[in-house]
Amino acid sequence: MITTKPVARVVYSAFFLSLVVIILVQSVMAQGDSDAAAQTKIIALEHAWNLAETNKDSKALSAILEDSMVYVDYDGTLRTKAEFLARVKMSTTHPEQEVTESMTTRVFGSTAVATGIYVAKGVENGKPYLRRGRFIDTWALKNGTWLCVASQATPFIH
Amino acid sequence: MWKLACVVLISACQLAAQSESKSSIEQARVMLLENAWNQAVQAKDARALDTLLAADMVYVEYDGTLMNKAEYLASVRSPPLDPLRIVNESMTVRLYDQVAVVNAVCRENGLKNGKAYSFRERFTDTWIRRGNTWECIASQSTLISPMTLTK
Repeated sequence: MITTKPVARVVYSAFFLSLVVIILVQSVMAQGDSDAAAQTKIIALEHAWNLAETNKDSKALSAILEDSMVYVDYDGTLRTKAEFLARVKMSTTHPEQEVTESMTTRVFGSTAVATGIYVAKGVENGKPYLRRGRFIDTWALKNGTWLCVASQATPFIH
Repeated sequence: MWKLACVVLISACQLAAQSESKSSIEQARVMLLENAWNQAVQAKDARALDTLLAADMVYVEYDGTLMNKAEYLASVRSPPLDPLRIVNESMTVRLYDQVAVVNAVCRENGLKNGKAYSFRERFTDTWIRRGNTWECIASQSTLISPMTLTK
């Protein structure tokens, strides 16, 4: 009995170590999976945003924007959620296309930051416009739902 | 019974006050970091800035240029403009759990090729709390008024 004790201890330690390694690997993989799932959701939400803005669907937009969100427009104008939704509904603006390019999403726990290029095409006050620039949107996970808490647009200046 | 209700009410008020005070402290800390950022840019002190920015931060310049942390720090060391005064106005800090979102107007004056320049831009900075430290993970500026040059 006395001679088998160290062997049993080594076997037990090895088993325990393996268990810890498996749990760690699984938790890292689960984190990776959960980050990937969050990234997919954010990309889908960004596309939904474009569609809602093109269709002037402020109700759909309202559902993905946090109440305290702040929007900085391409000309530097600061807008609250209500002001942004009112701008989307404006009868003098007729968006034809809103597209996002080169989008990357980084997830930091319950926060995600989406970066990309926006291309907006349409007619405003009877004049056609084509705007292209860079955006960063910050999303927060609240009660299982991703909501945009900040958004800014910067036109390309060449 | 009413005594118990009073105790519960007072405890709830104290907790709410503590939480509010903690939020105010964190907001003040982030504001200080924003001011430290301006001072570091003015002093071209990339080393000081390095401690404020997360390794994976993204920065969008007022002209739409996208930079990673290394590119941004390089631009601070040898900037295309020579900033003499950078001041933030109308700053607000909103807290979402471990994240702070800052919105403000930045007024910058300096020299460009020997000529005085000035411009105003609006920015959004997103900070994340890691342990006891706040690090900026995203920063973006948009011009409000175009750059003016005077002799």
